[in-house]
Amino acid sequence: MSLSTMLAAMGEGMLRTCLIFFLTLLFSLPLGMVVMFLRRSRFRIVQSITKIYIAIMRGTPLMLQLLMWYFGPYYLFGMSIRGYRFAAIIIGFSVNYSAYFAEIYRGGIEAIPKGQYEAAEILGYSKAQTFFKIILPQVVKMILPSVTNEVITLVKDTSLAFTLAYNEMFSLAKQIAASQTSFVPFVIAGVFYFIANYAVAYAMERIEKALDYYN
Amino acid sequence: MKKKIALLLAAVLAATAMTACGNGAADSAAPAEETVTEEAATEEAAAEEPAAEDAEGEASYVFLDETLGVESYAIGFRLGDTELAETVSGAVQALVLDGTYDEIGKKYPDIYDYLCLKAEDIDESKLPERGSGDPNFTFKHGFDLDYPPYSYRQDDNTVGGFDVELCQAVCEYMGWGYEAVPFNWDAKDAELNAKSCDCIWSGFTKEGREDQYTWGITYSNNTQGILVASDSGIKTLADLEGKVVGVQTATSAYDMLQDSKADLAATFGDLKVYETYTVAYNDLKAGAIDAIAIDMTAGSFLIAGDQ
Repeated sequence: MSLSTMLAAMGEGMLRTCLIFFLTLLFSLPLGMVVMFLRRSRFRIVQSITKIYIAIMRGTPLMLQLLMWYFGPYYLFGMSIRGYRFAAIIIGFSVNYSAYFAEIYRGGIEAIPKGQYEAAEILGYSKAQTFFKIILPQVVKMILPSVTNEVITLVKDTSLAFTLAYNEMFSLAKQIAASQTSFVPFVIAGVFYFIANYAVAYAMERIEKALDYYN
Repeated sequence: MKKKIALLLAAVLAATAMTACGNGAADSAAPAEETVTEEAATEEAAAEEPAAEDAEGEASYVFLDETLGVESYAIGFRLGDTELAETVSGAVQALVLDGTYDEIGKKYPDIYDYLCLKAEDIDESKLPERGSGDPNFTFKHGFDLDYPPYSYRQDDNTVGGFDVELCQAVCEYMGWGYEAVPFNWDAKDAELNAKSCDCIWSGFTKEGREDQYTWGITYSNNTQGILVASDSGIKTLADLEGKVVGVQTATSAYDMLQDSKADLAATFGDLKVYETYTVAYNDLKAGAIDAIAIDMTAGSFLIAGDQ
């Protein structure tokens, strides 16, 4: 296999990696918000259930969760799982990452002093207005570095999709390494991940700067 | 900004430097140069071999004469899927008779000698007719893409290998559709039971798993052996005492060392279990382990790919 074929094959894998990455972010960022609200619910029962959910998502290996999401429907309900592979991967990643994002959001929101809520109330802001106009903009700025951390981890975690035999970049690297008896594909994979993460870090830094309008 | 570009360049350069050290990289990075010097290089290596081993650290690798045992490769179906197993086995035999089996085998010289079906042993009367299968049926072929030369990603980035081509030929013979279902080897049973594939056909060893599947025909044999550096001084299985041996997880070599050859494994200094043989082989080259337990065809493939 020539180096160009190898790069082309792995480039194709990189596209699939990016697809997992963007779809996971698309679903997990808003879902994390929902989980965070449930976690901060006034109802004790909702709160405890959400706590258990977060504990399971963070406390078990993502690889195992992916297997459960894919094979679960068959083993639990006898459903056919043909053509469900990719959906299972996206569900698995999104649900898992939403738990982490929820906790990051919560950290940000609970860091806002209570006095701001009281002041907003006196000024006649409704609860929704207070949240979206006063609290959220501050929270977004505060949590960005933690979100960046998590997003970078996600880029590398996409390789776990190999568990469900999805041909993302690292699976391809492994296959090519086996057929060519060479380590080169792994080195290429490393360079690809590095470039992708550099791009993520750069983009997040730009966003942070753009939001830094008070300094 | 300049600083960032410089950083990126440095990373790429470092990566290039690293790849240039490996044999494989030199091959793929400079194909033109390789063709010119190849013959000279092989001659040189042949002439200097005994002396060069110590100086360059470029030892050659051989199998011990003593082996761990013989195994047979067959097609695994879900328990109870007898009819499908018989039809596929019949079609494979029909392909032996019409020469397709041999033709595909010749494309894979590493395993050609291990193919065990002979035209003279086949009872022609019981075979399914060509094109007698249900045209609406799609046969889902479950296999591992990390297993050359049975099923792997080929040089032109297509999925192939002996098992893949034979299975495609079976589908063509029966008039079925063919669907490739590459899976993660550790999850093969879950995939088969959940019906995402109809068979496991990927250099799949029958020994030790007789009761777990409905078995189709045995189409290839193989021998499990021990791969060592030729200058290691290890000549027999007994010499492995206290040595570090590598093996790939979930392979039949691994199963043997856990089960029928557990006594032998107990004499090893350590048994290292790898995710893939590629990593194990590099560890052997680097001198971190003394031997690899591997089947002859996969082992030959590793050695051949390295030259």
